[in-house]
Amino acid sequence: MHGVPLDLFLKQISGFLGTYYLLLALMNAVAAYLLWQGSSRQRELFRVPGADFPVTTAFIWLVVSLFFLLISPLAYSGDPQWMRLISLPLAVRAGINWLMDPTIYTVGTLLLLAFLFVFRRFFVKPWVAWSGLNLAMLLMGMSMTDPNFAAIVTKADNVPIVGLIFLLAFFTWLATYKAVLNDDRIKQGLEPLEKLDNEKVLVWPDLVYTELICMVAITALLLFWAIALQAPLEEPASSVKTPNPSKAPWYFLGLQEMLVYYDPWMAGVVLPSMIIAGLMAIPYIDFNKTGNGYYTIDQRKFAYVMFQIGFLVLWVTLIVMGTFLRGPNWNFFGPYEIWDAHKVEALNNVDLSEYFWVWFMQSSRPRAPEDASDLAKIGYAVRRELPGILLVIGYFTMLPPALIVMSKYFQTMFIKMGFVRYMVLTNLLLMMMLLPIKMLARWSPFHLKYFISMPEYMLNF
Amino acid sequence: MAKKMSVEEILAAARAGKAGGSAAPAPKSETKKESPPAKEEALPVAEVVSESPPAAAPAPKAAPPAGKAPAGGKGMDMAAILAAARAGKGAGSAPAPAAKPAPQKEAPAKAAVAEKPAPKPAAAKTDGNGATAAPKDTASILAAARKSAKPGPMTKAEAAALAKPTEPAGKKKLDVPPMPPKPDYARPRPAPAQAADAATRRSFISAAAGMLFGSSLAIGFTSLAATHLMWLLGTARFMFPNILIEPPTRFKVGFPDALAPGQVETKYIAQFGVWVVKYEVEGQPMVYALKSVCTHLGCTPNWLEAEQKFKCPCHGSGFYKDGVNFEGPAPRPLERYAISLADDGQLQVDKSRTFQEEMGQWKDPASFVPV
Repeated sequence: MHGVPLDLFLKQISGFLGTYYLLLALMNAVAAYLLWQGSSRQRELFRVPGADFPVTTAFIWLVVSLFFLLISPLAYSGDPQWMRLISLPLAVRAGINWLMDPTIYTVGTLLLLAFLFVFRRFFVKPWVAWSGLNLAMLLMGMSMTDPNFAAIVTKADNVPIVGLIFLLAFFTWLATYKAVLNDDRIKQGLEPLEKLDNEKVLVWPDLVYTELICMVAITALLLFWAIALQAPLEEPASSVKTPNPSKAPWYFLGLQEMLVYYDPWMAGVVLPSMIIAGLMAIPYIDFNKTGNGYYTIDQRKFAYVMFQIGFLVLWVTLIVMGTFLRGPNWNFFGPYEIWDAHKVEALNNVDLSEYFWVWFMQSSRPRAPEDASDLAKIGYAVRRELPGILLVIGYFTMLPPALIVMSKYFQTMFIKMGFVRYMVLTNLLLMMMLLPIKMLARWSPFHLKYFISMPEYMLNF
Repeated sequence: MAKKMSVEEILAAARAGKAGGSAAPAPKSETKKESPPAKEEALPVAEVVSESPPAAAPAPKAAPPAGKAPAGGKGMDMAAILAAARAGKGAGSAPAPAAKPAPQKEAPAKAAVAEKPAPKPAAAKTDGNGATAAPKDTASILAAARKSAKPGPMTKAEAAALAKPTEPAGKKKLDVPPMPPKPDYARPRPAPAQAADAATRRSFISAAAGMLFGSSLAIGFTSLAATHLMWLLGTARFMFPNILIEPPTRFKVGFPDALAPGQVETKYIAQFGVWVVKYEVEGQPMVYALKSVCTHLGCTPNWLEAEQKFKCPCHGSGFYKDGVNFEGPAPRPLERYAISLADDGQLQVDKSRTFQEEMGQWKDPASFVPV
């Protein structure tokens, strides 16, 4: 939608936005109705003094619904004056653009998820989650009046990822909700909820009917989707012309992001294999017998946190980043920023060996003489990269024992698992954490590129 | 006795002994009277084994026990063994001189085995020796001799075969049962009358059609063969894909003077995937041809004139005008193609050779043309 004047763009988007707000109003109205019907679930928050009117949760959601109902005609109008009322102020957009700087984005995501995790007892409350959903929807609606944001979000390739974000948030919330309930019950000495609900269910008709209904619903959805959204076909492929930006399918965008920080051999072959091998190794390195068949966090805190870091932080947020924040020339762009192919970013990356030899030792990097033998050349390359090699080896061999010394938790883990299993576990963890370390090193003022850089032998790390 | 007797000769010799009733060693009577059960045990063995080809193979195996015989020494060979084995049947005349020691030596072992009652299956195995007592045909005798020379564990099947009581051993001579009549399905079919003439064209065609489509099985195999043939042809066709022939790897890109200093010529990208650059590298003005393949993962970078850099759209690798990588994940500089001056003074790029900076190949004079 670039190149379209703003008022025309607003006209184009108005129909979608108006319907969007109407659906939000409907959603909240249904929630309010359900709460009102099942009166046991609605709580009386306070009474309006004088009028003796009980303000209940159902009433609150009714008000929210009315609010969406009111702004829906503003969106339908398509008039810039009215639409400005339901748009994010430019200052806020600039602020969000700034927040989407890669460093802040990655660290911020980590901190946000840590925050949600620590205060999960608050966030799993249904009304909090519902408020969060409404706020997210409102934020998205108010962002849709921005042409750049709308262009990214409504791109046929990216629509499923928008849906995926909401779905993922919902299921993560659901699992956390159930886990918190179970943890409370376990603390009281009760059985987890899943153990109470152990009624036998028949495949036919219970499961088959459910599957049939799901199948019909999904087919209908796909039909609707295929009609509503045009397939993102592009020009015929050419080996000498690469689209700019050139993006992998959405489920591989995490890998593509990883490729920015690693040699293709590492990010394309070694690390994906390690992910698969590591997942396969879980049953062998997991000594925690609890948590089988029911949701829990407290009983499996380490496993839960590590999985969520690996999945939510290092996989999903990378997909989101690759989808929405990477633009032409694979540069970073804020969600409200125009995709300028000529955006200049200072990305002079420097290898660790250069820092060590040139900056620290104040000499030139060791370089093999022209007539040196092949073996001598290898020797020179190893000498040149020695700091990085030592660093990487130290990272994988020194940190596991250091963790034992420093952390009581890792100490018990070591005792329970034994040397080999402990080293496997910690090395897998360290390999996983190397990605954010490398990302931050790249974005930091050092612009560190590779710890070990031996392009002569296709060995970069 | 000569060592190199053929099996036929050995057998002939053995038979001769039988016919003349010459072979009658002592052990024969011993085993005969002592061990009817042993014979019972032994017979099945002989029968089972005799089904295997009774040719020369047993001979060497049989040799070792014979070789131990003090008097026999080398001379003790198959003929002697056979003669000894056959002795039980003969009329009891004088044994062959060389054969004599061997049976005597074997006798105690045989007797020991034979005396043991049958129930022990392990003992039954060694009763192969006992077979010497029973009159046999050549094959079973050879097999029995071989059997005795080959101790070792036996399979369950063997044990079962041994334990199974078979026909009584009362007969002197092993009757070879006549071959059962061949069942219908195994009989050779009488050739069809038409095939017998086989001369007419019609008969040939109908025979061929019958072979290809005459039954459901034939139809099945015919269609299978046809399908495989088509697969084969399709595979052969696949080897010659329907593509345009590649542009030549050696092509001319104009005169060096046509390029302005510092110019990156991008018009050869679409067809040849090469940038022709006139630039000053390490103080030397030159023209070189850069390969438009990113050294990170192989995308085609774009030349950004305003930023004076090559920039890859896939992972953001950036290269200076001289091809040296400076940003993004690309681990090494862009590669150069070989370039030279043709006879007509034009620049000629040769895509069959590349030069990599990190290997020190940019110093190769073939990688640039000084201007």
